[in-house]
Amino acid sequence: MSQFNEARATVSEAASRPAIRIDGLNKWYGAHHVLRDVSLTIAEKEIMVVCGPSGSGKSTLIRCLNHLEEYQEGAIAVFGHELQRDQKTEKFIHQTMGMVFQNFNLFPHLTVLENCTLGLTWLRKKPEAEAREIAMTLLERVGIAQLANRFPGQLSGGQQQRVAISRSLAMDPKIMLFDEPTSALDPEMVKEVLDVMVNLAQTGMTMVCVTHEMQFARQVADRVVFMEDGEIVEVGPPEQVLLNPQWDRTKAFLDHIL
Amino acid sequence: MNSDAQLKRFVPSPARKPKDSEMTVLRWIRSRCFNSVGNSILTLLVLGLVFYVLDYALNWAVFDAVWHASNRRECMDISPGGACWAGVIDWFNGLMYGRYPIEEQWRVNLGVVLAVAWLLPLSCRSLAHRSLMLVSWIALYPFLGAWLFLGGGFGAETGPFHAILTSLAAGFMAMCYVNWLLAMLKRPSLTDIIYPLVARFVARQTHIFSLLLVWLVFSGVAGGLLSQVALAPVAIERWGGLFLTLIIASFAITMSIPIGVLLALGRRSKLPVIHWLCLLIIELVRAVPLITVLFMAVTLLPIFLPSDMELNKLSQVLCAVCLFAGAYMAENIRGGLQAIPRGQYEAAQTLGLGYWMTMLLIILPQALRLMIPNIMTSFISILKDTTLVSIIGLFDIMLMARNIANDKNWIGLHTEPLAMISILFFVMCYGMSQYSINLEKRLKVDR
Repeated sequence: MSQFNEARATVSEAASRPAIRIDGLNKWYGAHHVLRDVSLTIAEKEIMVVCGPSGSGKSTLIRCLNHLEEYQEGAIAVFGHELQRDQKTEKFIHQTMGMVFQNFNLFPHLTVLENCTLGLTWLRKKPEAEAREIAMTLLERVGIAQLANRFPGQLSGGQQQRVAISRSLAMDPKIMLFDEPTSALDPEMVKEVLDVMVNLAQTGMTMVCVTHEMQFARQVADRVVFMEDGEIVEVGPPEQVLLNPQWDRTKAFLDHIL
Repeated sequence: MNSDAQLKRFVPSPARKPKDSEMTVLRWIRSRCFNSVGNSILTLLVLGLVFYVLDYALNWAVFDAVWHASNRRECMDISPGGACWAGVIDWFNGLMYGRYPIEEQWRVNLGVVLAVAWLLPLSCRSLAHRSLMLVSWIALYPFLGAWLFLGGGFGAETGPFHAILTSLAAGFMAMCYVNWLLAMLKRPSLTDIIYPLVARFVARQTHIFSLLLVWLVFSGVAGGLLSQVALAPVAIERWGGLFLTLIIASFAITMSIPIGVLLALGRRSKLPVIHWLCLLIIELVRAVPLITVLFMAVTLLPIFLPSDMELNKLSQVLCAVCLFAGAYMAENIRGGLQAIPRGQYEAAQTLGLGYWMTMLLIILPQALRLMIPNIMTSFISILKDTTLVSIIGLFDIMLMARNIANDKNWIGLHTEPLAMISILFFVMCYGMSQYSINLEKRLKVDR
């Protein structure tokens, strides 16, 4: 663990430019106020873990980042680019950010390989052979190259999630968003997905992870955000938030989960 | 805490064979059909009923039937209780081709053979551009078919535009066949052969340009050859029988999918104008009986069209049937679209796929696959519904069959032609249903 942190130390120092800046974000579902004045800055190459009880708005927060959800107030800037509701921004968002979902959301009618090459051939207009090569390299990295011609339905949950990660990485994003990537998995498959995420963290990817895996947070995260009722209660390095919380609510949650 | 050495090693117990439960035919019958007094009685009753019906039907249709006679009276004299198939056989040509001139009927046969042959390479799964072949069939075959069936000089009556499209169709089919042949011989396709040549002039999209070039060359040759062929003109009014039924049905079936997809997507659209327009079309067309739509097409459509534009009755009917089939298909497809989880849309969106790419690559392939049984049911009902066009005076197989009873030789012969049509439709519809089951099995692998 300590070795890992040393390797990351250089990364943290280099990280000064903000990758994402969230300013006074507010969102309502009807009258229900789900995000309340959320402000947060995520540095480039930083790994941010967002945790909190269910219904605290953590998933909604990262879904707002890549415009899967609308928000009514506040501003988000990605690499200094203020996000608007227009075609240009949408394109920029999808080129910059990849997302991994709780339920994998692989395309069931396509093979594992086709899932990964789809965006490359249709959006990046890469020749088929080149797209396949990129996808195979990524699949090898997550250890499922041998399953490339299977369909998602023939894979275990852990394998599917690893394919989903490769599919996102194939588009070469600068930021990866993880929305509870291990919550739908059987306990024995959680590790294989977390291992992939740890490896990804070491490559210097900017990552925002909503997760309940506190072990992962302690090992990899630069900072941990604790949310409750749509508000950020605490932000800080994992040792501080997880081992030495300042707020009673954080402590109660951690006692519950650890 | 146990150390590893203290842990017992788990050894799975050996698998056992199931109890002897070999099913013999006799045991199956006894356990399923005669396992209780009530069930035995029921079995015997049903067997009796089946025997009674079969006995009657076979005697009428086969053993007592008359196959050779020159008129209905002769049939009656030979065997009063049997079917008079002689009348149906006498009219067989009419049932198949309507009033299409006998010496020109080879064109109909050739057209059907070409239509099937065009689709044949699709069964070769290793072939490139398979979807292109299907699309080209839908987009181009009608022109080739129209030229073949209508006749007249090449482009003389239907205009140069039609002649060009016919050449393109013939050229495309020829190209597909040559490529198919090359693929079977494990040789590079024509497109690959001229690829380096084209690459010298065009840097981007070279593949598409080489394909276009090959196609144009083939079309030019085909056009040159076809313009030498003079076919006797056959008016649309003379088309009929199973031939006409198949034209209307296949047209409606192939068009119902694109129309249905557009209407379904339109109905789910967030743009209010498109949403309400599609909703209106779907609800209006679905709420009206097909006969009314047909009558309206024949009587009302000419009023809306500019006065110098004259459509023949067949085109009007085709418009009506396509719209009707499309509206029904739209609801089938909408059902399929609703079954696709939201996560699929979100995953496509985060990859950066736009609306049309998401629909064409991700959503529709899944939705259509999910809806195969419903879509096939619609196809079958479209095929059967086409018999309604006989009411507005198109000589399809139904009207031809009813005409037999008006022939002075076969006056009053109703049952046998209808029985014959029932058998024919059963064979066609059952074939379609079997195909759909086959398709479902083949596509189920990935679920």
